[in-house]
Amino acid sequence: MSVRTLTIDGQPVAIAEGATILEAAKEAGIHIPTLCFLEGVSAVAACRMCLVEVEGISKLLPACVTQVAEEMVVHTNTPKLQEYRRMTVELLFAEGNHVCSICVANGNCELQDAAIKVGMDHTRFPYRFPNRSVDVSHPQFGIDHNRCILCTRCVRVCDEIEGAHVWDVAQRGTAAYIVSGLNQPWGEVDACTSCGKCVDACPTGAIFRKGTTTAEKQRDRAKLEFLVNAREKHEWTR
Amino acid sequence: MAKTVIIDPVTRIEGHAKISIYLDDRGEVDDARFHVVEYRGFEKFCEGRPFTEMAGITARICGICPVSHLLASAKTGDKILAVKIPPAGEKLRRLMNLGQITQSHALSFFHLSSPDFLLGWDSDPAKRNVFGLIASDPELARAGIRLRQFGQTVIELLGARKIHAAWAVPGGVRTPLSEEGRTWIRDRLPESRQTLNLALNLFKDLLNRFQTEVEQFGQFRSLFMGLVGKNGEWEHYGGQIRFTDSDAKIVADSLNEDDYQDYLGEAVEPWSYLKFPYYKPLGYPDGIYRVGPLARVNICSHFGTPEADRELQEFRQRAGGVATSSFYYHYARLLEILAALERIEQLIDDPDLTSNRTRATGGINQLEGIGVSEAPRGTLFHHYQVDENGLIKKVNLIIATGQNNLAMNKTITQIAKHYIQGTEITEGMLNRVEAGIRAFDPCLSCSTHATGQMPLQVELIGADGKVLNQVWRN
Amino acid sequence: MSKIKFATVWLAGCSGCHMSFLDLDEWLIELAEYVEVVYSPVGSDLKEYPEGVDVCLVEGGVANEDNLELIHLIRKRTKTLVSFGDCAVTANVPAMRNMLGGSEPVLRRGYLELADETPQLPYAPGIVPELLDRVLPVHEVVPVDIYMPGCPPDAHRIKATIEPLLKGEKPKMEGRDMIKFG
Repeated sequence: MSVRTLTIDGQPVAIAEGATILEAAKEAGIHIPTLCFLEGVSAVAACRMCLVEVEGISKLLPACVTQVAEEMVVHTNTPKLQEYRRMTVELLFAEGNHVCSICVANGNCELQDAAIKVGMDHTRFPYRFPNRSVDVSHPQFGIDHNRCILCTRCVRVCDEIEGAHVWDVAQRGTAAYIVSGLNQPWGEVDACTSCGKCVDACPTGAIFRKGTTTAEKQRDRAKLEFLVNAREKHEWTR
Repeated sequence: MAKTVIIDPVTRIEGHAKISIYLDDRGEVDDARFHVVEYRGFEKFCEGRPFTEMAGITARICGICPVSHLLASAKTGDKILAVKIPPAGEKLRRLMNLGQITQSHALSFFHLSSPDFLLGWDSDPAKRNVFGLIASDPELARAGIRLRQFGQTVIELLGARKIHAAWAVPGGVRTPLSEEGRTWIRDRLPESRQTLNLALNLFKDLLNRFQTEVEQFGQFRSLFMGLVGKNGEWEHYGGQIRFTDSDAKIVADSLNEDDYQDYLGEAVEPWSYLKFPYYKPLGYPDGIYRVGPLARVNICSHFGTPEADRELQEFRQRAGGVATSSFYYHYARLLEILAALERIEQLIDDPDLTSNRTRATGGINQLEGIGVSEAPRGTLFHHYQVDENGLIKKVNLIIATGQNNLAMNKTITQIAKHYIQGTEITEGMLNRVEAGIRAFDPCLSCSTHATGQMPLQVELIGADGKVLNQVWRN
Repeated sequence: MSKIKFATVWLAGCSGCHMSFLDLDEWLIELAEYVEVVYSPVGSDLKEYPEGVDVCLVEGGVANEDNLELIHLIRKRTKTLVSFGDCAVTANVPAMRNMLGGSEPVLRRGYLELADETPQLPYAPGIVPELLDRVLPVHEVVPVDIYMPGCPPDAHRIKATIEPLLKGEKPKMEGRDMIKFG
């Protein structure tokens, strides 16, 4: 296994070939913000929060899927990146209907945390106020499309960890939304094992346990990592 | 030549309103109208939301009494789950409501109304406010501020925040009181009682000087409605609905909230966003009734706590039995703070308050629920219909302040008729008209679940409806 | 030190932010030494928004014709305009009606379907302001200087925002304590 050496924010880092910039930064103790990335499932670079600047390359690259290269010089927190990240979060807020005050995930939401991190005190983009639906046909869970940021974590945990592939993405562009089964109500999807991994994976209040009231959503993100480690490394303790 | 006087905005009430006064050809008051100028449409946009979110959403109807909406919504949710909530859950809900009654009434008395009493109806409007009170009587202001803080802190100790605590839920409440919280409340009670006594004595002194106001601020016969307990005692959370008339006769009793549509109707007037609830058997507008502190004090047989009952006797003596003057709302409010503090005192050592069995769970077992609670300003109804999965299909909300709409209009007409004669319109007169509204302590943010911008505008309107002249008050 | 001219205004909100302002409790007594309250639904009886206001806290979104008129006047006459609370910053819960497209559905429900007597849509030009099609956050209508999110922002946040303004400084709106929504 060969090693690659690179510089991140002026810090020299050595890491195995094939690793991503995100992994290298983590190794070096440098935090790069992410939203759609989830430890234990594949990376899709959907949210653009982890964009970084690489010297000699004119476009910004997503750290979660960009492999390290020898002599790479990476910047993770330039003013330009700060501005882009803030814009990304603002666009997410303007795109859906995120009413934090009454959301089940208020105080326990990665989108809300991201907004705080990027210093968003308001969004400069006009809100779209799309008309979206809520599906609570499942006996235990519900999905509120108003709060969905299309990160596709639910799609990936259900497919890659649970192996049920209940979720997928339908349509394109602004019309895109998450579907269950063959575009059926969630409660009618035979493939669903009611395992709740999508609830734990969802970064916002979009997928929740029924009966949850404002600010009551708890998530057990570590459970997903535990399952992956149990499966791949045979570590049975958390 | 008729003219119209418009007061805009009405200040130091919790909401948005204008008042217009219509003069006839002789320059005498013909009619006065209280306009609520805001509407948000909760009854519609909640459709399609999970019913479990309703407590959080409807709390945003009002920042003064979010607890009332929280409780009414949770009680409606209890019915949809078809569960009986654990005793600890009910006691904790009651404790929070008592905290709210204290904070809301303290706000109404000290922050919003006392500037009128203490600085005078005709005092400088730039100083006739809580900051003016701070300047003229800092000790009283501080005491009032601390009394409201006591109520707000009770809410915070239970629900983790002072405003919009998401704590009461269908089936009970989320968390019990902590032992530290219990201690804090217990320790702060004596001071709160002291402040209340101070306010009560102050107000009684003022009453002797305010005989004109007592007679003119909405002194009329009407029905009174509210919740009472099993033995007719004062209630704020449970119990059943009672209507009494101005002779203390019980008109209807032991009414269930589930049947509210049998005895309450709502009418619409084109000049206000606030609907006009009325007592159905008497029709509209004859079915005028009042709710809130004055109504609750009038309809109950007793408070059930020693000090409050003593004060109730004196109250009834002063009022000559049933208090029909809306000015007595202020007095009734102080009595209710006293009753709330006494009840907190009785409740505070109850071991159930720190019990962990606070919440019952269940599925969607009924597709319809109606919840009722006494908000500081009167009886509040939430009515939801849900589908099989618990998504809201229909919502109807009947809000406390709305039920005083007919009475508020009657009150300002009466005041205007008394104080406005000729074409001379003074600051003091207009402020008294506003103060008449303030007696009801209307919470218009609630009522328009569903600020004026101009200085006072006087319009001269001819018989053909043309504006002949305009006068502005700055 | 001369007192700064201070105002608070309330548009389409629930008054919760104003109540949270009153939760400053005894600090209000101290505040009274630094500010002259020239316009406020809870702290003043003056009916006209005056000229030359130094700081104005605006609660609520812009939902009707009156709100619209007032917010333009406020902007003209105010040095530092603070968007006060989630309804002002994001339009929040009142904006849930925006997804229905226009104001007609909410008016129909409230005044036609849920009325037992004389069902009609309120209409009194000049008295009862018409609803706008959409409830808007303040900054979509006029420029805003400082954003204070929260539903409501708690008293600590309000104090941390106002205190620098009293000295003519700009508050630092960053971190969970200052800008968390909800």
